[in-house]
Amino acid sequence: MIHLLRKTLPVLLLSVFSFPAFSQANYTISGYLKDAKDGESLIGATVIVEGTGNGAVSNTYGYYSITLAEGNYTLIVSYIGYQTQRKEVSLTSNQKLDFEMGLEGQELEEVVITSEALDENVNRIGMSVEKMDSRIIKKIPAFLGEADVVNSIKTLPGVSTVGEGASGFNVRGGGVGQNLVLLDEAVVYNSSHMLGFFSVFNPDAVKDLKLYKGGIPARYGGRISSILDIQMKEGNSKKLGVQGGVGTIFSRIAVEAPIVKDKSSFILAARRSYIDVLARPFVDVLSEGGALNFYDITGKVNYKFSDRDRIYLSGYIGRDNFKFDANQGFSWGNATATFRWNHLMSDRLFMNLSGIYADYDYELEFGEDESDKFQWKSRIRTLTVKPDFSWYLNSNNEISFGGELIRYDFNPADATTVSQNQETNISLDERFSYEGALYIGNKQKFGNRFSAEYGLRWSTFYYVGPGSVYEYGYAEPGKRRPVVGITEAESGEVVSSYNYFEPRIALRYRLSETSSVKASYNRMAQYIHLISNRTASIPLDVWQPSTNNITPQVGDQIALGYFQNFRNNEYEFSVEAYYKETQNQIEYIDGADLLINEFLEGDLLSGQGRAYGLEFLVRKVKGKLTGWASYTLAKTELKTEGINNFEWYPTRFDQRHNFKVTAIYTFNERWSLSSNFAFISGTPSTWPTDRYEVQGYLIPHNGNNTRNNLRIPAYHRLDVSVTLNGKKEKKGRPRKNQDYWVFGLYNVYGRQNPFSIYFTQGTDRPAAGTPIDSKGVQVAIIGSIVPAFSYNFKF
Amino acid sequence: MKKRIKLIAVLLVSIGLFSCEQDIFPELETAPPQLVVDAFLTNDNAPQCIRLAQSLPYYQADVLTPVRGATVTVSTGSVSISFIENEPGMYCADIPNSMDFYQVGQEYTLLVETNNTVVSSSVTMNRVPEIDTIEFKYEEERPGFNAEGYIAQFFAVDPEGPGDTYWIKTYKNNAFLNKPSEINVAYDAAFSAGGNVDGQTFILPIRQSINPQDEDANGDLLPAYSSGDSIRVEIHSISNDAFDFFLQAQEQIDRPGGFGELFAVPLANLPTNLEATGAFENRVVGFFNVAAVSEFTNWLDPNNLPPKNP
Repeated sequence: MIHLLRKTLPVLLLSVFSFPAFSQANYTISGYLKDAKDGESLIGATVIVEGTGNGAVSNTYGYYSITLAEGNYTLIVSYIGYQTQRKEVSLTSNQKLDFEMGLEGQELEEVVITSEALDENVNRIGMSVEKMDSRIIKKIPAFLGEADVVNSIKTLPGVSTVGEGASGFNVRGGGVGQNLVLLDEAVVYNSSHMLGFFSVFNPDAVKDLKLYKGGIPARYGGRISSILDIQMKEGNSKKLGVQGGVGTIFSRIAVEAPIVKDKSSFILAARRSYIDVLARPFVDVLSEGGALNFYDITGKVNYKFSDRDRIYLSGYIGRDNFKFDANQGFSWGNATATFRWNHLMSDRLFMNLSGIYADYDYELEFGEDESDKFQWKSRIRTLTVKPDFSWYLNSNNEISFGGELIRYDFNPADATTVSQNQETNISLDERFSYEGALYIGNKQKFGNRFSAEYGLRWSTFYYVGPGSVYEYGYAEPGKRRPVVGITEAESGEVVSSYNYFEPRIALRYRLSETSSVKASYNRMAQYIHLISNRTASIPLDVWQPSTNNITPQVGDQIALGYFQNFRNNEYEFSVEAYYKETQNQIEYIDGADLLINEFLEGDLLSGQGRAYGLEFLVRKVKGKLTGWASYTLAKTELKTEGINNFEWYPTRFDQRHNFKVTAIYTFNERWSLSSNFAFISGTPSTWPTDRYEVQGYLIPHNGNNTRNNLRIPAYHRLDVSVTLNGKKEKKGRPRKNQDYWVFGLYNVYGRQNPFSIYFTQGTDRPAAGTPIDSKGVQVAIIGSIVPAFSYNFKF
Repeated sequence: MKKRIKLIAVLLVSIGLFSCEQDIFPELETAPPQLVVDAFLTNDNAPQCIRLAQSLPYYQADVLTPVRGATVTVSTGSVSISFIENEPGMYCADIPNSMDFYQVGQEYTLLVETNNTVVSSSVTMNRVPEIDTIEFKYEEERPGFNAEGYIAQFFAVDPEGPGDTYWIKTYKNNAFLNKPSEINVAYDAAFSAGGNVDGQTFILPIRQSINPQDEDANGDLLPAYSSGDSIRVEIHSISNDAFDFFLQAQEQIDRPGGFGELFAVPLANLPTNLEATGAFENRVVGFFNVAAVSEFTNWLDPNNLPPKNP
């Protein structure tokens, strides 16, 4: 592969190699950055060569590499919240230098809420990137007191949701299915627990997350809207650690420990909700075999074979159960496994090879007994191989390249019905496809002010047999298309194939030490599609491959930004403007039948989209008061033949104004107060103009054929929580255990925020001869103030 | 499915999460009225009526404005029947069985001419299976499904061959169960074309969707049937298009409410098989169907129930 890439990119590489440093002897300093206390590798820590403007940032595995001319240097190693280290180096040969970094003292002035270098906001080349670590996630007031990864990113600009209980999240006007959600590189196809109230990521096992809303590096692809890249902890490699919590809804525990000191460690974290157990005596459904619970187990082990080789094995398994009684209900869950091999091919060439399994399935079961029942299982399974190389070419160029090969197995319905002991199999064909990609990118510095990260990704998709291939005829736009032909593809036969070149570029120009301007462009292709025409994304939504009838989605985005820090980096400010165009957006005919429908594709429409917006973010990262405020002004629209008279219409998640504040005030070592406020414009919804009756039923009708023509009222909500840290000392001696209580109020002023409005006749039985009552009903998913507490511990 | 979704709400409420609802009267857009044609004919001996009206603004809870003075005919290739306006907007005809007007497989054409619009539609009358029996059984309370008491179930077998569609209408004590939640339609023996359950006894949820969904003042379900109640079930054969109409009507107007709204589909206009030219071109709603009907009647006598299945 290296040969291939070297051949195909001579021009690019020419500019990269033509650097004056070549006239001198060059040596490389490289190594790993780790937390001194628990041995966790530090992602995104900086190693700066004093006085040269050169430096490096540690990668996902904590590795850094700097190549310099022979000489004497001082390295400054820093990571926010940790003590900065200085190291004199006399560079006469390649050197290995690992750093173990200690936490800074817990003085109040040092409360910080960012996990990156303080001027990273200004210095980073990429824009439209949001970072959060589990320490911050745990500070945000949370629904029912449970710190939650996905809910925490909803406090950021450009990230939104259609409402409580909806699965997933929306980024810059994109759909839920247009986000690539990765847990240690494994795709999580549905990130929700309990519909969408919680996400599947256990904050005790999460080290770091990055959300790319734009300027997406070439190593990522497959979704057009965003990448949420979550890294799990490796596990304490120094000593045994246990942490956990008991909350209103669920409890969690995580254990981490070295297996072989400094060579191998593990973490195992588990959560289970138990509210149905507690409620059982009071609720009939639950005492009769009903259930409402979820659990998840997250684990990871690593082993260091040598200074050059390390392997990681991580996995997740989780499930939600909604049981109406012993025989009826539905359940869903993800299972992932990631095997990674880090290998240093040289001090300057870092390789990671990943093998990944990801699975999402759900299951419904209804029926009184064996003679009358209905069973339906749906599943998507993928296997991925992903080699990725980082080549620290010289102090001005860091090249990354690699590839990805994914095998998809879609099983939309494995279903049977039994009626009076007669069984019918109503399963749909499994569908198979392959997605491949090759990419190369470079992070390049042009002097002190200007840097660029650019790259190219080439992706391709093959939809293959065996399976039935459907050909659809013409229908009036917006109506169901008839099937005009069905042929059978043989195993391995290519039914349709697609490929796209996806250029990516991000530029940064530093105006001063504390300000910069940035610009980016990226093209993304998406080959698999989340099929959903509901008001919210739900666990029953099915993933579909691109086929001869469904073309891949493509998105282009440009963004511009201005970044400035104030008061010695205490305040960060940024403003970004973006414009996106998308093609082949999936829409649905009225009355589309999306579940267990062999002819689903005939019910799909294809549209184009555009989204633009302005995002402001202010953060205060140090001091007693910390937090951030964001404001997003945005618009997102679709245009589809057959909908809204073929004119632009707002998407379901179009929110004009989105204002959010998260503030954390630390009174002293023991007490802190956190609060959240959100004000979000009402989402659009289709409302009727008229009423008519057919066969005694009242039918709402939109006589203008408009889509999303009006908006539900605005959403606003305040949450507050108080954290009380346990005493640090007991009888004058330091306590071994740390613990804290969280008391929270969600929706403090009890607003019944509208989720949707529906129109129907009254629930009373209509009397013959009298006009039927027509109603509009506003639904609030959370109708009241929700209190919560949790007790958390660590030792 | 919908009833099961309602159960999610029951479960979520059980853990202290309350959704809530309130009636509201938002300002809506206005649009020119629609011409409404409600034309569901059956092969009954009884007089058949077709209703013509104009739609009203959504919140105007009045009787629809009748459309008067129209010419309404339903014809086969050889016979044409005129429907006479015998009350405002209601056009009826008495078609005696002896005319042999109704034949399975026969195509019927509706023609409506008002002073400014011509509406037409054609439909074929499809076959319908006999109902073998209606049974009652005593059930414990199942929250979200039924109250403690008797529930009914009918048995009929969908004929071999895919693509039969039915509207199953239930009358309790001769009153039609007319709530949106009581709409019961079948595609062959199950719910949808994709399901492909053909030539079998109707599946359980369809067999049991003949029980009234009445609630007491507290919102608890009332027993479906009590001693002495009568039940009549009719199966109407409908066109595939009419099946889509009812299926979509069900999604639109049988609202789960509360948490169930997470699963709801957005508002969409219902399909029609009517075509209009003239003033109401593209502004006609409603449906035309000619159904063959089979029916079965039973009374609940708790002392005379069939033995329970072992």
